[in-house]
Amino acid sequence: MLAGGAGAVAVTTAAPGARAAVDHDVFQHGIASGDPLPRRVVLWTRVTPTAAATPGSGRGPRVTVTWEVATDRRFRDVVRRGRVRTGPARDHTVKVDATRLRPDTAYFYRFTCRGETSPVGRTRTAPARNATPAGLRFGVVSCANLQAGWFSAYRHLASRDDLDAVIHLGDYLYEYAPGEYGHGQQNADIRPHVPAREMVTLADYRQRHAQYKSDPDLRALHARHPFIVTWDDHEITNDAWRDGAENHQADEGTYAARRAAAHRAYDEWMPVRMSGTVATGDGTRLFRTLRFGALAELSMLDLRTHRDQQASTPAPSPVPSPAGGADGTITGRAQMDWLKRRLRRGGPQWKLVGNPVMIAPVTFAQLPHDLVDPVNDVTGLLPRDGAPYNVDQWDGYTADRRELFEHIRDQGLRDVVFLTGDIHSGWACDLPYDAATYPLGDSAGVELVCTSVTSNNLKDITGTPPRTSSLAVEAVIQTNNRHVKYLNFDDHGYSVLDVTPERVQMDWYVISDRTDPRARSSWTASWATRSGTNTVQAASAPVGA
Amino acid sequence: MCTPGRSDAFERGRDEIRTGRRTLLAAGAAGIAISSLPRAAAAASAGTRKRAYVLVLDGCRPDEITPELMPRTSALRDGGLHHPRATSLPVMETIPNHVMMMTGVRPDCSGVPANSILDRSTGEIRDMDRPEDIRVPTVIERLNRHGLTTGTVLSKEYLYGVFGGRATHRWEPAPIVPVSGHAPDAFTMEAALAMVRRNDPHLLFVNLGDIDRMGHSDLTGPLGVRAARQAALAATDVQVGRFVDLLKSSGRWRTSMVVVLADHSMDWSLPHQLIHLTPALEADPLLAGNVTIADNGGADLLYWTGDPALLDAAVARMVALSSAVPGVLSAHDPRATPSLRTGPLGGDVIVYAKAGWRFSDPDQWSNPIPGNHGHPVTMPIPFFVAGGHRRVPRGVTSSRRAATIDVAPTVADFFGVGAPRGGYDGRSRLPRR
Repeated sequence: MLAGGAGAVAVTTAAPGARAAVDHDVFQHGIASGDPLPRRVVLWTRVTPTAAATPGSGRGPRVTVTWEVATDRRFRDVVRRGRVRTGPARDHTVKVDATRLRPDTAYFYRFTCRGETSPVGRTRTAPARNATPAGLRFGVVSCANLQAGWFSAYRHLASRDDLDAVIHLGDYLYEYAPGEYGHGQQNADIRPHVPAREMVTLADYRQRHAQYKSDPDLRALHARHPFIVTWDDHEITNDAWRDGAENHQADEGTYAARRAAAHRAYDEWMPVRMSGTVATGDGTRLFRTLRFGALAELSMLDLRTHRDQQASTPAPSPVPSPAGGADGTITGRAQMDWLKRRLRRGGPQWKLVGNPVMIAPVTFAQLPHDLVDPVNDVTGLLPRDGAPYNVDQWDGYTADRRELFEHIRDQGLRDVVFLTGDIHSGWACDLPYDAATYPLGDSAGVELVCTSVTSNNLKDITGTPPRTSSLAVEAVIQTNNRHVKYLNFDDHGYSVLDVTPERVQMDWYVISDRTDPRARSSWTASWATRSGTNTVQAASAPVGA
Repeated sequence: MCTPGRSDAFERGRDEIRTGRRTLLAAGAAGIAISSLPRAAAAASAGTRKRAYVLVLDGCRPDEITPELMPRTSALRDGGLHHPRATSLPVMETIPNHVMMMTGVRPDCSGVPANSILDRSTGEIRDMDRPEDIRVPTVIERLNRHGLTTGTVLSKEYLYGVFGGRATHRWEPAPIVPVSGHAPDAFTMEAALAMVRRNDPHLLFVNLGDIDRMGHSDLTGPLGVRAARQAALAATDVQVGRFVDLLKSSGRWRTSMVVVLADHSMDWSLPHQLIHLTPALEADPLLAGNVTIADNGGADLLYWTGDPALLDAAVARMVALSSAVPGVLSAHDPRATPSLRTGPLGGDVIVYAKAGWRFSDPDQWSNPIPGNHGHPVTMPIPFFVAGGHRRVPRGVTSSRRAATIDVAPTVADFFGVGAPRGGYDGRSRLPRR
């Protein structure tokens, strides 16, 4: 059935009259859709044709899976139908591109295999290329560490009927073993990871994806809305860069092999077109653009595959020795050139950028030393000795940021909005060309940062109650960074992004307790950027409330 | 660049009055001089209660129209049809974009690609400030032919010149500030109000020049302070408010459409961020002595004056050498860049500055002013359609593109006078009936 009201989840339901040929759940990892275009959308599922065909096992027969797309939830008006083969070579995942659909239209989809029918999913195509939609609305999420808590944020987003898609900005899953990077100061595991080790091999990655897709809240959200995803580092391992990662050691094999395994599993298990197709093994290019009529274009970045090694940092995270430094690249040449082509005057009005790590400059001068380490545990932001940048984010790659901002300025672009995750906190920022003199001078655009679904934030690291020690940190950061207009270091949750020709608004929702599988959700803040202003202002109320 | 040249625009205007082609009347105690075409009174009785007003806030940036700084203008924007994606068009200068507003076509059709061009008939650089520079009929003449009356209240000397005697009623601008070549907004608005009260033209085209002029000369601009500019914005907003007040108090508002836009935006450069192309071009054996530059502030127009048979090679050299000069954003061969549509008068190569830079050619002291436009950073403009007429949408923002060339088709659509042969390059911004 479909996710209904708050708290509802998608559960397996055989279609009326369907005869089950197996005695276990064939569709135990749910169904999903993604990357909506005007006339096509990606449909995904994973089948378990035999009990032994568990994720990552490499066992089980090749089977045929039928997929259907209809305009009604009872499938009386099936508009597209097809058959696809899958098997152990691709971990029994199924990914198809349903084509020849109508723009800006809601559809229902389902799969059938071995006499069993999957849950029914709902998806939506993008508006036609030259359409002028009155509005678009997205869920925005990042950083969902299963060991750190329950995915209530996903459940509450799944209960909304007013979203066109969900934008996932990365850290969809985490690599750690049980006991590593769990909940709070003690790293307690609210739910231990499977397999019970750091994921390194292809089988590990497949099993971890399967575990996450077994979560009822995530399954409900996938069933209810199409996803538009990018990865950050934890889809492979912590602080990944082009040829390595902080959390990759020599005894774990070559980094190239590990990354290839991670990318392979991601391609199999996520409803995304990599290198422009739904086929696996034909390329792993993740940066891509999705257009929503004349109103908006969303460019999703990959800031882990092509970046130089992070510069050394005074922050306590064990980053390797210096490499690229501030002149190194975070995008890679090809992605930067592509992004500059996407950010152009002739394109749609709002130029949204799905940006896995923060691009707003953040500098510090007066933060109490007692708070430096806890803040760094969360964000890696604070240089102990006053160096003014965070080297795992765009602050560590200032040449790339300068090139991008100069492009925006030189071309007279307006309405560029960076949508960001990664740092487990909520931010709304202008993007000054010169932070030292701002608000004198202009802004390149704005950045809206969603908080984490569950991953630890400042209060979790310090072990202090919400809105106590964090308030001082937030005040100091904002005092030193006048372009940071909103900052919340304490809460977990999700965001809703509303796009109209007048403005783009982000609403931040927080969940009551990530250790509570029934956690409540409440609105906490809204910030908007009016078209043409390149700045953010507080908004008085969330949309659709 | 908007620096005034040596114009004979006013001499031409006086000749028109002296020879009886226009009739001069002084309006009100302020002695506002408005000249009119013969038989204007008869024409005024024709037609409709509809009125269209086009107010150009010369050089205004879209982000400058805020409720705090420009409350009256921002209220107009928010109450009407707002086009946040609107742009100026190449070359992003005053004269070509005002001409595009009134002709609805790009410079390769209108004949006016820039403020400053090389006049190959004389071999001299000059402003495009002559009525005959516009080679196609404007919407002003189109309305006139349909028995409707028109008016121009243009604060700048070269705009007065290029639109000449086309309008039924024309303000003879005064006083003109000697250095800037424009009339202050307070005087310009007095003239606009007087023309509405006395002549009540169906279309009134107004240019308010203070924002641009204060922007050009604002030495605090590069520092982001923009003190003089901000004062001008606030003052011009008051003038916009006066105009709206008159429309409402006189009952015209409910039959009116008020188009508010800018012709281009504004960018500021630090004194040391000068682009000087001349040395690079003169050092080249092929180009030396054979290139003339028309400096348009944020854009340089390069003209090949050597052997026509060597044009292709010369253009390639000009593009390559210019592109390598610090501060240059890009150099274009208009023949290979169809989107420019600047036409043959717009130069053989167009070179754009990066944001925060300006050209100064042929000499390093040719362009001393900090505020400039003409380059892509100055493309975004405010553009909105207000007014009480039923065809004007209320409180709508559009994600569609809009540009200065859309003004003429919008006005033509409003009055139902159709399009010229060959059509407009722009589109009416009004919803279809």
